Amino acid sequence: MLALKEIARARVRFGLLAGSVGLLVFLILFQQALFGSLITGFIGAVQNQDSPMLVFNDQARKNVEGSFLTPDQATAVAEVDGVAETGLIGQSTYTVEAGGELQDAVLFGYELGGLGAPLTLNEGRLPEGPNEAVASDDDADKGFAIGDQVRVVGEDGPVITIVGLGDDLRWSVAPTMFVSYDTYEAAQRAANPGAEVVFPSLVAVRPADGVDKAELAARIDAAVEGVETLTRQQAVDENPGVRGVNQSFQIILALAFVVVALVVGFFFLILTVQKAKALTLLRAVGAPSGYLVKNLVLQIAAVLGAGFVVGVGLTALIGVVGVGDLAIDLEPTTVVATLAGLTVLSLLGGLASIRRVLRIDPIRATADAGRNL
Amino acid sequence: MRLALKELLRKPGRFTVVGGALTFLVLLLLFLGGLLDGLYLNSTGAIRSVDADAIVFSEDARQSFLRSDIDPDTRATVEGVDGVGEVGGLGLTLLGVEIPGETDIADGAIAGYELPSGNLPAPPPPGQAYADRKLEDLGLSVGETVLVGPARVPLEVIGWVEDTNYLGQNGIWVEPGTWREVQNANRPDAFVAEGTFQALVVRFADGVSDPGGLRLEIDGATGTTESLSEADAVLAIPGITEQDSTFTAIIGTTVLVVGIVVALFFALLTLERAGLYAALKAFGASNRSLVSGLILQAVLVAAGALVLGGILTFLLAQVIPPVVPVQFEPSRAASLAVLVVLTAVLGGLVSLRRIIRIDPASAIGTGV
Repeated sequence: MLALKEIARARVRFGLLAGSVGLLVFLILFQQALFGSLITGFIGAVQNQDSPMLVFNDQARKNVEGSFLTPDQATAVAEVDGVAETGLIGQSTYTVEAGGELQDAVLFGYELGGLGAPLTLNEGRLPEGPNEAVASDDDADKGFAIGDQVRVVGEDGPVITIVGLGDDLRWSVAPTMFVSYDTYEAAQRAANPGAEVVFPSLVAVRPADGVDKAELAARIDAAVEGVETLTRQQAVDENPGVRGVNQSFQIILALAFVVVALVVGFFFLILTVQKAKALTLLRAVGAPSGYLVKNLVLQIAAVLGAGFVVGVGLTALIGVVGVGDLAIDLEPTTVVATLAGLTVLSLLGGLASIRRVLRIDPIRATADAGRNL
Repeated sequence: MRLALKELLRKPGRFTVVGGALTFLVLLLLFLGGLLDGLYLNSTGAIRSVDADAIVFSEDARQSFLRSDIDPDTRATVEGVDGVGEVGGLGLTLLGVEIPGETDIADGAIAGYELPSGNLPAPPPPGQAYADRKLEDLGLSVGETVLVGPARVPLEVIGWVEDTNYLGQNGIWVEPGTWREVQNANRPDAFVAEGTFQALVVRFADGVSDPGGLRLEIDGATGTTESLSEADAVLAIPGITEQDSTFTAIIGTTVLVVGIVVALFFALLTLERAGLYAALKAFGASNRSLVSGLILQAVLVAAGALVLGGILTFLLAQVIPPVVPVQFEPSRAASLAVLVVLTAVLGGLVSLRRIIRIDPASAIGTGV
């Protein structure tokens, strides 16, 4: 095939193009993987707990750390029409002793048997009493494996035994433990001996059967002063950190996609212009336009294919190494969608070249007795 | 050189495509740099503002302000260490801030402090505050009273400070008593007793030759503290190191793409001009002058892309939602500009070998 022979004879040129496409593909895939990992690493604990709705303090700006509710507010939420069940959730970050060293760890305290339990248990069991916890399996090797004991640093800090592990249960990329609400209260008092009271961070809500979540959220917010009710998905999507990161990544990705299309487009356009005379001659000796376009598309596909291999390979390599405490996981669906998008954009970028090939007039080969060919 | 310049001026279209690709790469680089600076400056301003030789945390806080707790006895011990000059308390509380006339609640980092610095005036009177100027963009004016946290503690803003944010929250600087009032009213589960701070800002006396050693001495004297330099306290902020390494890697990769794109373009251009270069060489043009011309073109194309990319970045900045923490710093733009030009030069030099190998005899059909 003519197209492949040309690539074989101009390896440096096509290699450079495939290299730059590969690096751009790597940039796009790496950022998507990083974003996915950031999301699960930062807010996996809320995403993967079983409360369908969460009530925040309205001053918390949808931030779990910034939220606390008074007992009166918690009681009032439970009394709103359409609420089937409520539960208290307490969350905070502590210094703990685990695996023989001091570490940061997050506790999510919930009323056992009620709302707020982790949904992704893959080993062991849920806590059945005080001082038991389910931890994220990402941290099992850091002193949070089943049977390990974790001590909350502070006066009479509770010693928590890990009894279960779950997928993607981290919060703020720190080891996270789901414990009973009593255990959370004990940890909070140990870390803050001067604390006058311990308030819940959130109230978990399950709507009654047939009650629309959006309507119920509006009803709770209207009935209880100083609260803001979100569905679980809203609590994930509208988390202040996630929203900013999401929009930043979208802009970066859009720019990277545009650059890929431009780079591929400009390369093949220059190449087509440079080969114009040879292509005219080919047309004059009977090569149909379709054949030339097919060769051009084949070259674009070959360059993209090589670029994809480089890009996916580099991303996989980073996935093995990881970024700090973040595990970089790339979903196959994301890879396929990205590569498909890039293929379409690159072909669009190559349209100018295709148009140019289609416009070649074989009669020009006879101009000046073909001296210019 | 003159020929290269004339070609660029008379046939700018030839360079449009590579210029276009580079323009978008510059836009991408400036945006990435702006994002990195925005995230870094917005997270670390408060710590960089206090002018500390040491920031002293309680040992079990793992360098977290929110978990640290320094009582008056510990402070007295620190003050007694030989070589310690000034000591001031510091506390930070992250809360929502209601700005008069605004429906959205702003993010606030309420900072209680004692020592003025190059960036901070002396603490204001009780009940009053200096606010970070970023709050001006959110609708706040000097003289207005904001309500802080669920307890809606009123604070009258009496002036602006710059670059004092912490963890992306807008700095609001108050005297220690006001900070404790804000903290205890809004976070009764993290009560701060009179005289207690989260951390101490320590400035060493003149003539201290071993700051690291003195920090260790402080921790040895108290037995319950961990003292960090200002730079280490910045790096201890959650996510700062990872953020920096990730964005640096992304920026580095993008710069590499710039180099490859330039190399690719000029390799193609050199190939196209092989005959022309042979003729020029036959007329006596040196390799040096031909390569210089090519490098000049690479630099000018890169410079044009920098200008256009800068304009596009400026336009993009006008429509970016405030939730994106992007901040464009002249120093970042300058360093990226230098990097792009240097990379373009290196990319252009990829064609050096090909130009040198062109035989002038080929111009009259007897070359290779």
